Amino acid sequence: MKLNLKWRWAALKNGFQDATAYRLEFLFEVLGSALVPAAIQWVIWYALFEIGGAKEVAGMNYADLLQYTWISLLFTQIRGGDHDFELQEMIRSGALSTYLLRPCSVVEFVWIRGVAPKLFLAGIGLVGGCVIGWIYGLSPLHILLGMGFALLGNIIHYQLSAALASIAFWWEEGYSLLMVKNMLVSLLSGELLPLTLFPQEWKWVWESTPFYLFVFAPTQIAQGKWGPSEILFHLGVAAGWLLFGWVLIRLTWGFGIKRYQSLGG
Amino acid sequence: MNESKTPASMIQAAPTLQASPVIQVRQVRRTFTSTKKEEGIKGSFKLLLNPTRQEHEALKGVDFEIEEGAFIGLIGANGAGKTTLLKILSGLIPPTSGEARVLGMNPFKRSLKFRHTISLVMGQKAQLWWDLPAIDAFDLLKAIYNIPEKIYRERLDHLAELLDVKRLLNTQIRRLSLGERMKMELIGALLHWPKVIFLDEPTIGLDVLAAHKLREFLREFNRKEKATIILTSHNMDDIERLCSRVLILKQGELVFDGDPKKLAQSNECRLRIRLVETPSIEELAAHFQVDPKTIEISSHDEEEESESGQKLIHITLQRQQIPSILQATLGRYTLVDMAIEEQSLEKVIQRLYETES
Repeated sequence: MKLNLKWRWAALKNGFQDATAYRLEFLFEVLGSALVPAAIQWVIWYALFEIGGAKEVAGMNYADLLQYTWISLLFTQIRGGDHDFELQEMIRSGALSTYLLRPCSVVEFVWIRGVAPKLFLAGIGLVGGCVIGWIYGLSPLHILLGMGFALLGNIIHYQLSAALASIAFWWEEGYSLLMVKNMLVSLLSGELLPLTLFPQEWKWVWESTPFYLFVFAPTQIAQGKWGPSEILFHLGVAAGWLLFGWVLIRLTWGFGIKRYQSLGG
Repeated sequence: MNESKTPASMIQAAPTLQASPVIQVRQVRRTFTSTKKEEGIKGSFKLLLNPTRQEHEALKGVDFEIEEGAFIGLIGANGAGKTTLLKILSGLIPPTSGEARVLGMNPFKRSLKFRHTISLVMGQKAQLWWDLPAIDAFDLLKAIYNIPEKIYRERLDHLAELLDVKRLLNTQIRRLSLGERMKMELIGALLHWPKVIFLDEPTIGLDVLAAHKLREFLREFNRKEKATIILTSHNMDDIERLCSRVLILKQGELVFDGDPKKLAQSNECRLRIRLVETPSIEELAAHFQVDPKTIEISSHDEEEESESGQKLIHITLQRQQIPSILQATLGRYTLVDMAIEEQSLEKVIQRLYETES
């Protein structure tokens, strides 16, 4: 079947228009969600190194950790994460009905509208990344690769979230489940702490989820800490998760939609 | 609607039709299961530990067919199953049993072709994006339905002009009044020129003028484009003015399918009398020599009930029976007051709801 790019492009524009309908709201959303985790990290590093007198933690000194914080800031904005709540609420309230009757995939439609502002931020992030990279002497190519990984992470995150949101077809309410997922993502994506700070014996925990691909992996790539073979390996991992997410969505939505009651109206 | 104004390209763009009937419904049943919560905190604990489920049969074996270009009124009291039927026909939910086909297709498969040819407007549900102006939403719908730019512009101009909302196209949806919003919803639902349109309470909350404009517009769209329209409404004006056929649902069953005029037969009327005495229905039926089913004694209309306990008696009869019934009344009872009520569609349906509720 021919891929209809027309509606996808229109949905992207529409999503951007919707996200930026209120300029200050958009600005505060971006700045707030970027600066708060960064401030928390900075306080922790300051306490450890300046007050606690530590010289090195897990092979990283104060400057390394600050660099991680700044670079990861570029990618935390890209990972996405609230459109699963939107999907869940649409199923619960019956608002999904409108979308089901339009000749396009509802799951893809919601993703495209949601990713629109993220792509805008990715563009800004790239410019910001080049400035930060210039300060730290990082390669713009690595930052570009990192951003590419972050966008892959956005897709994987959405796929898993959409599959989880489909729980509303069975339970009607899946808010808590999505909240738990978001907390796990915050912890295991490398958004709050570099994952190298986790005990070595826990490494398998974050390695066995795709969450590290959202922030930690892009940051490592942007910092030039991963060589070509590692990048290729993790790209393979990302491709595996993408395929898994695609199958998962088809299964959960395929079965779930049969239970949809289209409440209200 | 000015016929000469309809752009030719809009008509040409309409999809080709299937052989009639356009809609076929055979023995459609639909059951919903829900969790029942008992009252109070005890009920909350029970819900946590041992929830009880209840089944509700929204449709109980409904059968009908609709021909191309028909304008059908689907009416019934709250919970009669109207919206459930529309949801089945538009493919949102499947029937529990039975079969529904629209334009020869199974709605629940929601094929791309099916979605290109139908439209559902729910008066109580917004389909456009709250924070964006309608024009941005229409632009997206144009891309979704793959409408060529020229045809899109013509349709949009035409619809916006007819519904008198041209000046509002660039205003955020949330800033529009209910009536203006409803008109925008309707434009959004019609831009792709659907062949089958399901309208669930489209005039809900609209003022008289807005409802009138909407009705006129729908009538013309149905007439000129041969679109098949099913309309649910509690407003009998909508039904009387637009629909050549009505389907009446009652507790999930189709109790009437036909011309609305036949419901309110012109020779039939209602005689309303109030007596000093309080005879029973059986006694009145025997005295007037009529079927007891044609007599109603209202005990719930407290406004009309007098302090002495006199009740309103309604007798449905043919006009020529009125003199003999009045004679018989005066021969045995003391008449307090009387009136002859016309059989409006609204009254007929209201009675129909009352008698079986």
